[in-house]
Amino acid sequence: MKRFKTLLTAFVIGFSILSFAQAGKDDSQTSKENTDKKGYQVGDRATDFELKNIDGKMVSLKNFTDAKGFIVVFTCNHCPYAKSYEERIVELDKTYKQYGYPVIAINPNDPKVQPQDGFKEMITRAKEKGFTFPYLVDEGQKIYPQYGATKTPHVFVLQKEGDKNVVKYIGAIDNNYENAAEATEHYVKDAVDALIKGEPIKTTKTVAIGCTIKVKK
Amino acid sequence: MLLLNLRMKNFLGLLVLLFGLSLYKGQVQNNLTLVNYEELEMKIQNNKDELLVVNFWSTTCAPCVKELPDFMIVNEKFKNNPKFKMLLVSLDRAKDKEKVIQFIKKKNLTTEVILLDDIKRMNTWIPRFDKNWEGNIPVTILYKNGEKVHFNDGEMSKEELENTINKNL
Repeated sequence: MKRFKTLLTAFVIGFSILSFAQAGKDDSQTSKENTDKKGYQVGDRATDFELKNIDGKMVSLKNFTDAKGFIVVFTCNHCPYAKSYEERIVELDKTYKQYGYPVIAINPNDPKVQPQDGFKEMITRAKEKGFTFPYLVDEGQKIYPQYGATKTPHVFVLQKEGDKNVVKYIGAIDNNYENAAEATEHYVKDAVDALIKGEPIKTTKTVAIGCTIKVKK
Repeated sequence: MLLLNLRMKNFLGLLVLLFGLSLYKGQVQNNLTLVNYEELEMKIQNNKDELLVVNFWSTTCAPCVKELPDFMIVNEKFKNNPKFKMLLVSLDRAKDKEKVIQFIKKKNLTTEVILLDDIKRMNTWIPRFDKNWEGNIPVTILYKNGEKVHFNDGEMSKEELENTINKNL
């Protein structure tokens, strides 16, 4: 009987631990994200900005007097989707800068929420990956909502028309984040090629899985 | 003594039952099925007479990982309702399958988890789930009898999820 009782006690203790562990109480509230997702549509005029580059200088689109347009990429350090596109972004800049379509990369994330996306970390990452383009901080997170970027990476191809920058393409770089060699659709390349040739862009908007932009809490 | 014994037996029986239940409750899958978009769509549409909560997530997505414990708590509340089901759709890479299985065990994910292995056609299937979905995760969609009744863009708190389920159940 005594052994039975010991067994029973063990049972009761074991059971309570198990059910306690499974309750896994976590009442932490997740702050509701900004639901205003309007942003730009293709054909809209994109705003210029003045944002800090990793070299400490301020960068605006209007500084690029020779540019015919821009490949604006909202990207960051930490996101696996963004990381897997880094080399392709460098390649885009190398290919299209000479045609007047440089890459302008903007990190939209709040470094307090995502410390890997801090300014120092951006400098390091850009060096490591050999970024050939400005890598700007969206300080105060004012620019990305205007563009309507919802994730990283998120590309906006702009075309200069007079003193305006008009949005011509919104979306993904290609259709295979995992493996560049296996991509069968090259959305950004095709869009910029069409702009250079003065032809209409076949696919003007695409969607792809990416990392949510980390908003200041 | 006899009476005590009988009570003891009943109590023990109850304990065994509860213990068994708690084991069942903690049951997680040991494998992970990879599906393409069409297979997932069919799986969703085949859930007749049910409210199906589908959560799109990835082990690499911090806000997704953060909300999963709340989803498990809500699932515990509703799982005995035969008209309720929760399905987690992992968007991890197919080659990270083992990592996802380990994650399921570690985080004790007691709902069904499948991996949507269709990355080349994101631009096709993302808008089919919802025209407003830009591809950011997490995203949670509720289906009733195979028809979409709610699309939640972004994280969902326990209360929001529970209220949305109650509203549609």
